[in-house]
This record gives sequence, C-alpha cells and structure tokens, in this order.
Amino acid sequence: MSHDIPLNWFLYFAAASFSIGLMGVLLRRNAVAVLMAIEIMLNAANINLVAFWRYGTPPQGEGPLTGVMVAIFVITIAAAEVAVGIGLILLCYRRWHAADVDRFDSMSG
Amino acid sequence: MPANAAATLNFRDFYVLVPEMVLALWGLIVLMVDLGLLRGQTIPRRRQVLGRLSLLGTLVATVAAVAPLLVRFDDTGAWEWLNFAGYNYAENPDPVLFFDAISGDVLTETYNLLLTLLLALVVWMSMAWSFTENWGEYFALMFWSTVGMMLLTASEELLTLFLTLETMTICLYLCTAFEKNRRRSPEAGLKYFVYGSVSSALFLFGLSLLYGLTGSTRFDAIWHALRPVLGDNSGLTGNLAGVTAVLLMLVGFGFKVAVVPFHQWAPDAYEGAPAPVTAWIATGSKIASFVALMKVLLHALGPWASPTNHVMNPGWIGVVVVLSAASMTYGNFAALAQRNLKRMLAYSSIAHSGYMLVGVMAAGVSTRRQEAAGSVLFYLVVYAFSNIGAFAVAAWLARDKGSDDIDDLNGLGFRYPGLATCILLLMLSLIGMPPLAGFFGKLYMFMEALDESQAHSSRLTLMWLVGLGLINSVVSAFYYVRVLKAMFLRHPGRAVLAPAGSSLAVPIVLATAVVIGFGLYPTPLLNLMKAAAVPMIEESGRTLAEGQPASKGEPDREIAPGTPKPGPAAEPSREGPSSHPSPAPVPAPNS
Repeated sequence: MSHDIPLNWFLYFAAASFSIGLMGVLLRRNAVAVLMAIEIMLNAANINLVAFWRYGTPPQGEGPLTGVMVAIFVITIAAAEVAVGIGLILLCYRRWHAADVDRFDSMSG
Repeated sequence: MPANAAATLNFRDFYVLVPEMVLALWGLIVLMVDLGLLRGQTIPRRRQVLGRLSLLGTLVATVAAVAPLLVRFDDTGAWEWLNFAGYNYAENPDPVLFFDAISGDVLTETYNLLLTLLLALVVWMSMAWSFTENWGEYFALMFWSTVGMMLLTASEELLTLFLTLETMTICLYLCTAFEKNRRRSPEAGLKYFVYGSVSSALFLFGLSLLYGLTGSTRFDAIWHALRPVLGDNSGLTGNLAGVTAVLLMLVGFGFKVAVVPFHQWAPDAYEGAPAPVTAWIATGSKIASFVALMKVLLHALGPWASPTNHVMNPGWIGVVVVLSAASMTYGNFAALAQRNLKRMLAYSSIAHSGYMLVGVMAAGVSTRRQEAAGSVLFYLVVYAFSNIGAFAVAAWLARDKGSDDIDDLNGLGFRYPGLATCILLLMLSLIGMPPLAGFFGKLYMFMEALDESQAHSSRLTLMWLVGLGLINSVVSAFYYVRVLKAMFLRHPGRAVLAPAGSSLAVPIVLATAVVIGFGLYPTPLLNLMKAAAVPMIEESGRTLAEGQPASKGEPDREIAPGTPKPGPAAEPSREGPSSHPSPAPVPAPNS
C-alpha cells in the first residue's frame, strides 16, 4: 500500500479535533453545542483507531480488524449517547425554558 | 497462533453469562408487563406489582450467580447438577471466554453474586414510594445497568470494557433523571450525562492511543506488548503517546469512580437522583468501575506502573498517589460542611475512593500484589453494603420528608431504636470502628500498604499515604457522628419519620447484618477475595499461576530480569525478604 499521507498527519488531525471538542465542552454554554463537542471528541478517537488499524500491522494472534471494529462500536455508542443526551436536554428545557448549562444550578455546595 | 485464532464459539461458555442473560431478559419482561397487563392501573399498584416482579427477577439472577460458585468450590459433587450446561471447570480454571473478551473466573462469579444481591436491595428500596410514574422503564433500566456492571467486571478487553461501561452509565444517566416532578432530578441527570460522556470520550481517546502503541485491545496482549519496553527500565520516559494514553485513561476512570479532581459531578448527581438510584450509582457503578480500573492498571498497564519501584518515576503510580491523597483529604473535609445526607454521603464516597486507591497503589508496587489487590476487593464489598444501608436512610427521608436534611433524622433513636441502632452500626463501619467490617477493610488494606516487603523507595510514600488515610478516618468520624447525634441526642421535632416499612427496613437490616458478619468473620471473605484477585495481577497471569502450559499460546513469554520466574505453584508470591506464607496477614479478630 502506498502511504500517500503519513500516519502522523492523521494523528495530528485527530489530536487537533479532540482538542477542539474538549475546548467546546469547556467553553460553550449551550447544552446542544456541548453535546456536539462530545461527538467531535468521540470521532477524533475514531480517526485514531482507524488510522492505527490502517498503518499498523496486527501483532501475532490479533484479529485483522480490531481498530475498525472498535470504531464501529464507538459509532453506535455515540448514537445512543446522543439519544439519551437530547432526551435529558429536553427534560431540562421544559423546566428552565433554556438550554444554557450555566442556568441549571439549583444544587451547589 | 493462539488458540483463539481458529476457535469457534463454544456454546457451553454461555453458562458463565447466565446471570447477565436472566437480568437482560427480565428487564424486557418487566417492560412488557408494565405496558401490557398493567395499562391503566394506578401508579402505586404498578409500583408494587412491578417491584415484586423485579425482586423475583433478582432472585432468579442470584440463584444463577450462586450456581457457578457452588459448582466451582464443590468437593463432594453434590452441586454438580447445577452445572446444567456441562461447563468444564477443570478444563479452564481461570478462563477467558468469547475470543478473550470476557473472563469467567472467581472474580467475575463473586462480583456477579455481589451485584445481584445489591440490586435486590436497591429494587426493594425502590418500592418504598412513588418517585416516578414510569415504573416499567425504571426497573428495566436498573436491570440493564446491572448487566453492564457485571460484564464490566468480567471484561478482559478494552472494547468490551468501553461498551459495558457505556451500557452501565447510559442507563444510569436516565435513571438519575427519573424523578421528573422535581427540578433537581433532570438537572442531576444532565450534569451526570455531560461529565460522564466527556470522561468516556477522554477514556476512548486514551484507548485509541494505547491500541496504536500495542496493536491490540486485549489486556493480556497489551501487557505482552508493553513488557519489552520495560526491559530497559525506561518505563514511560520519553514516551509522549504512552503518557497521554495513561493520563487520559486515568482521567476517564477518575470520573467514573469519582476521585478528586474529577468528582464535580458526584455531589450533584447523588443529591438530585432518586435515593435508590443514588445508592446504585454509589455502590454498583463504583465497585464495577473500580474492578475495571484495577484490571486495566494492574494487568494491562502493569509494566507502566513505575519502572524501578520509585514512586515518582514516570508511571501511573505517581498519578495514583496524588489522586488518592487529594480524594481522601478533599472528600472528608468537604463532607464536614454538608447538611444534606446524600451530599454528605457523596463526599464520603469520594473519600472512600481515595482510601481504595492506596490499596491499588500498594498492589502496583508491592511484592504481595495478590494480597494487596484482594484487600481492595474486600474493601469494595464492605463499602458497597454499608453504603446501601446508608442510602436506604436517605430514601426514608426522601419518602417522608421530601428532603435529605440530616436534621430531619432528629429523635429517630427514641422512636425506632432498632433501626437507629442498625444505622449507628453502619455509620461506625463507615468510620472504620472495630469490630465492624469497615475497620477490617481499612486494616487489611493499610497493612498491605505498610508491608515490610515493599520496595524501599516506595515505602516512604506509602507510609505517608497510610498516615494521611488514618488522619482522614478521624476527620470522617465528625460528619458520620453528626448523623448519630441527630438520631440519639436531639429530641424529635414536630413530625418524626413514619415507620420504615419492609422495603426500607430490610436493606438497612441486611446491610447491618453483612457489616457485622464480615466484621466478626472476615477471613472467609478475605481469602475468597485474595483468590479472586489472582487473575487481575499480571505476573500471576492465569496461564502461569495455574501451572499449566500457556493456554493462550505464548511459549516464549519474556520475563523481565527483575522478576523471578513464576513457578508452577498456585501461590504467585515472589520470594520477597519476608513474604508471609499465611494467607491472612492478621489473626482472626474474634479470638
């Protein structure tokens, strides 16, 4: 296989998108935007997994598809997480009439 | 090629998964009954019927979880009929099944039993009052989260671990938000969700890096891949990707087990969730995550613990030390300021995570790793039962007062002396007073940490940590005693709590019985937990400890120069200067 793009590039890209996602979680106040940022973080990990699978040779006794299988499962988990997350955001939205995570502060201490 | 490469699935292996399958199916049954037969019934009636049905389900699952243990420790053959699937124990003493994804060893079996018992208590507690209308969904989600926990303790591979971790927490996010008529419950659910899924994402990124570094997701294969790296004793030095992977995975686990500084979600989620759900987050989810944390750190990442047993060398030991000290101290001092019972218990559970990390660290550097890991498993069992009882008190408050203030317990000791005495014993066990089980949990763990066969360089740190733990135990007495003061020294106000009823009294009394029982006879449980800890320690890996040819086909496994070659003996202790031959470090306490 001809390695047109080196593995490093994928890793830098994944690390960059992971950082973007983390920044989004920390800085965005809208709950839906936070949810999107979490998805970006999960997908950054997926890029890593698939890139490592594509460029690495599996060690003895390892199945040929490990990285891709993990990525596929992560996609399903991400879908489940979005479904639950949207449900919870809606539940909070009905109470506060806002999707701003800073407003949800009835408990503290 | 290892055995699994050409192997097909052995359907007899599903015998190991019977408790999980029972719970998963029972969740569906409960859901169907709620949607079908109970349509249009009143909420309390649905709660009663579905609660009893769920209790029956946990009973069936308990039987299914006891059966493998009975068959395994069966000398007479009297229980052989329970092994209906013809599962062969002699063939795989410590098996890893389903293409190395799930383990079917003593650890899995004991923790399956523990989790089903705890689930039964939580279900019982849930029947106390109607905090939600959606009872079918509630019980089904509790069951499915338990399935996630059981598979989490059984996972031997990172993908399985991540999947089950998510199964568990996604169900718990929803359960947290179930008390829809109160503002704090959806809020707690959303907070738990945001923190939890961010931590999952961090963990996953660490996982992807670890996969890239080792080429595998199986714990054993990761250990083998990292082992040669240790050959030159450099550990993680200069390995930026490795450091990132370890840190991210520690952060992920740190969120799940709530250690400082990743604890922010815990007090809010604990306070906002309905009390039975809080109990389940604090016990089930915590002990399952902790077992997974120990498996990953001690087995897969064992070579990265610390290369020369120096604590501050690059390796996860140093990070664990900091997390442990911070959790103990912050958790206890923050709990001092709490007036809300659930919030106080949340901070106390953060502190307990800190104590347990001392044991994990001891297991990471000790020459008696099996004993050290076993003492942590013992502590987890005791912690789980004492906390179930304590959260039943919180459920009592929530049912009758709608709040969780400790002051609402005023005068409980005069009105209900029996139950108040049980609560007294639970609180004393949480403080760590002899002769209750909490004391022996702490004693065994700290004794292992102070064991004189520790490497000299890490001993000082461990002594500091144990000293900090002891000081913290004294601090923790102040806030636990506040509960006792409210119950026994203050006069009842206008309205004392209504009688507890069986749904709340049974968890409190049973938890107390367990705490007293394991306080008076800790040795059987301790020995069981030490046996259970064997497979999670890397040197004593299942292939070598059992003294049989490596079933997973690594004939030429490399042994680092520092470690003596493991012999065929089942006891995997390395010959340290003073390795104790006796399994119990402390004599039986009731003598």
